[in-house]
Amino acid sequence: MTNSLLFGISIFVYFFSMVLYVSYLAFRSETLGKVATGTLLAGVIIETAAILLRWYESYQLGIGRAPLTNLYESLVFFAWTIAIVYLLMERKFKIKTAGAFVTPFPFIIMAYASLNPNEIQPLVPALQSNWLISHVVTCFVGYAAFAVSFGVSFLYLFKVKSEKGPAKNPGGLLNYLPASDLLDEVGYKTIAIGFPLLTIGIITGAFWANVAWGTYWSWDPKETWSLIVWLIYAAYLHARITKGWRGKKAAVLSIVGFSATIFCYLGVNLLLSGLHSYGG
Amino acid sequence: MTEDNKVKNTRVAFVDKIWGVFTSLKLVITLLLVLSVLSVIGTVIEQNKPIQQYYNLFKPETVDLFAKLGLLDMYHSWWFTACLALLALNIIACTMERYPFIMRGMKKQGFVLDEKIEAGLTNVATLKYHLETETVESRITSIVGKNFSARPVVTEAENARHFFYEKGRYTRLAFFLTHLSVLVIFIGAIAGSLFGFKGYVNINEGELVSGVETRRGDHKRFNFSVKCNSFQVDFYPNGAPKDYRSDLSVIRDGKEVARKTIRVNDPLDFEGISFYQSSYGKLPEAVTLEIKDKEGLSLGTVSAPFGRQVDIPGGAQIELLDFRDHFHLSDGSEAGPVYGVNIYSRGAPPGGIWISETRPDMNRYGTYSFVLKGAKFRNYTGLQVNKDPGVWLVWTGCIMLVAGIMMAFFMSHKKFWIRIGKDKKGRVEVTAGGTTNKNKHAFASEVERMVGSFREGSS
Repeated sequence: MTNSLLFGISIFVYFFSMVLYVSYLAFRSETLGKVATGTLLAGVIIETAAILLRWYESYQLGIGRAPLTNLYESLVFFAWTIAIVYLLMERKFKIKTAGAFVTPFPFIIMAYASLNPNEIQPLVPALQSNWLISHVVTCFVGYAAFAVSFGVSFLYLFKVKSEKGPAKNPGGLLNYLPASDLLDEVGYKTIAIGFPLLTIGIITGAFWANVAWGTYWSWDPKETWSLIVWLIYAAYLHARITKGWRGKKAAVLSIVGFSATIFCYLGVNLLLSGLHSYGG
Repeated sequence: MTEDNKVKNTRVAFVDKIWGVFTSLKLVITLLLVLSVLSVIGTVIEQNKPIQQYYNLFKPETVDLFAKLGLLDMYHSWWFTACLALLALNIIACTMERYPFIMRGMKKQGFVLDEKIEAGLTNVATLKYHLETETVESRITSIVGKNFSARPVVTEAENARHFFYEKGRYTRLAFFLTHLSVLVIFIGAIAGSLFGFKGYVNINEGELVSGVETRRGDHKRFNFSVKCNSFQVDFYPNGAPKDYRSDLSVIRDGKEVARKTIRVNDPLDFEGISFYQSSYGKLPEAVTLEIKDKEGLSLGTVSAPFGRQVDIPGGAQIELLDFRDHFHLSDGSEAGPVYGVNIYSRGAPPGGIWISETRPDMNRYGTYSFVLKGAKFRNYTGLQVNKDPGVWLVWTGCIMLVAGIMMAFFMSHKKFWIRIGKDKKGRVEVTAGGTTNKNKHAFASEVERMVGSFREGSS
């Protein structure tokens, strides 16, 4: 299958972009930084082609469906959205040093995806719905935004530690990281993107469930975990907007939120049973 | 102070305290986090499973404790409901607390850029021009008009003309949308559970039903009947199911009033009651059995229709009562399709056996043994039947929530003032500045760009 060849290539490209971002952090050469961004962009382009090709191939097989319906497909889509959300953030906020903390995600996720079966399977009746694409896309772009916020928050905790300590080694690595205020701001902005998308994702899921099964909410583990994630980020936003929670507390809550997100996405499928057992 | 007043004051203080608790951010955050932790517990202990399953997993004392605490159906327990009720009260209190502030922000006021307003602006620019007032005015208003589409409020005051531009005043209502949406969803859910029902019914092909057994165990009668004309299932070449569909008719007073082929994801709605394709199966209409005696000699062949007792040679009756497509024996092995048959012998209590196609050794009862010769099947469709008069409220709440979140995160209330007057030297003097309630950085640069374009021709 040619789509898997392209996916294979994109894994390597993501790997190189990760190495380049880490080297950029270590050597701080502008050229290296540009190459790192270029490589990540190339990875995204190759993966876009792979996703489109897989979609096309499904039509050739007479199945004809969006490539968003099993664990393999959701993983590659997740990696793709993280790379794109990160690239947009990098462009807007000029935070190239955060790349070393975010680009491992696309690579690791793609590598993990490659361990899962990747045949194009036809859709069971429950998944044959126009709601599939809007539900999956909104959820995953939301997850990706949370992933970027997680990476940036992590970086924030490193950075703020160095800012508090005595000013040693002015040419050091930590001094080269973006200012902690900016990291804090980016951590928040990404959640402000992810939260509405997760909200829409949960609502489209509820609407779809109501059409398919006649219940918009059945406390299935996947639904419940998506609500948990939503509640954590809702708490984050309330604390931040009304009380001005910033910095460390906000960063920790963002990290907790993303851990819950990962559990909602993978943990529920691997450890708990329920309606989403087909993956995704 | 009189005694009465003291009591009154302590009462007021107490009410204030309660009010303070209900409007505190601490309560909001605590509730959100408590609800998420409780929900985690609900996914770790699987909910609403048959009690036997819990006994297999936990010690009997633990199961009893869980049951007592409501942990086996915790989303409907009094304490989970109480948390949701607290959240609702919290939302109501915060909405009331915020109401006057938001309404103050909504007021149309401050059209004149006076000293007081000017002092509150973060980025004020003053420019002077050796031009006609009209020229400056038309140039500047056309620049600002690109950012603020609504017409400005123009006021003549203090020997100057004041232009007041405004955008997104209604986004201040985002708070009400997001918070009241949660209440609307709650009300929708409560309405659904009070005035609606959920049930399940199997309908054989060619038969009709006019009621359903609800999950709560009541029997709901419809004022119409639903007939399953046919049920079909298609498979992909790899054996996975492709499509389930039931051709349903709604019949009232002997006449068909609606007809639809339903599928998964495409239910039938009739007068507020929805029928969802949920499962399917087949039941034997009749089986043909050869009956043998102890020595294996054939006594003859009988056909037993479903649910009717028929005589068999040797003076007994049999009745076909049940069918399983995949039968698992107690040792875990698979016995294929089996037919549940009761046997009524004279002078003995009735006994039941499973008659199997693949395991004839199972097909013995007393002195009899049976050989399956054939079976005629009929499909049935399994329908989820719902009535939920609250569902539209839930969707209304969802739309309010999304609209509110979008407004809250991506829109803001922007105000922009321009004062055009003359300075002491007779030059045209323009003072401009703005404020916003959110995302101040982005607005500051927007203002900077606008003012930058004003500069052309200034001195």
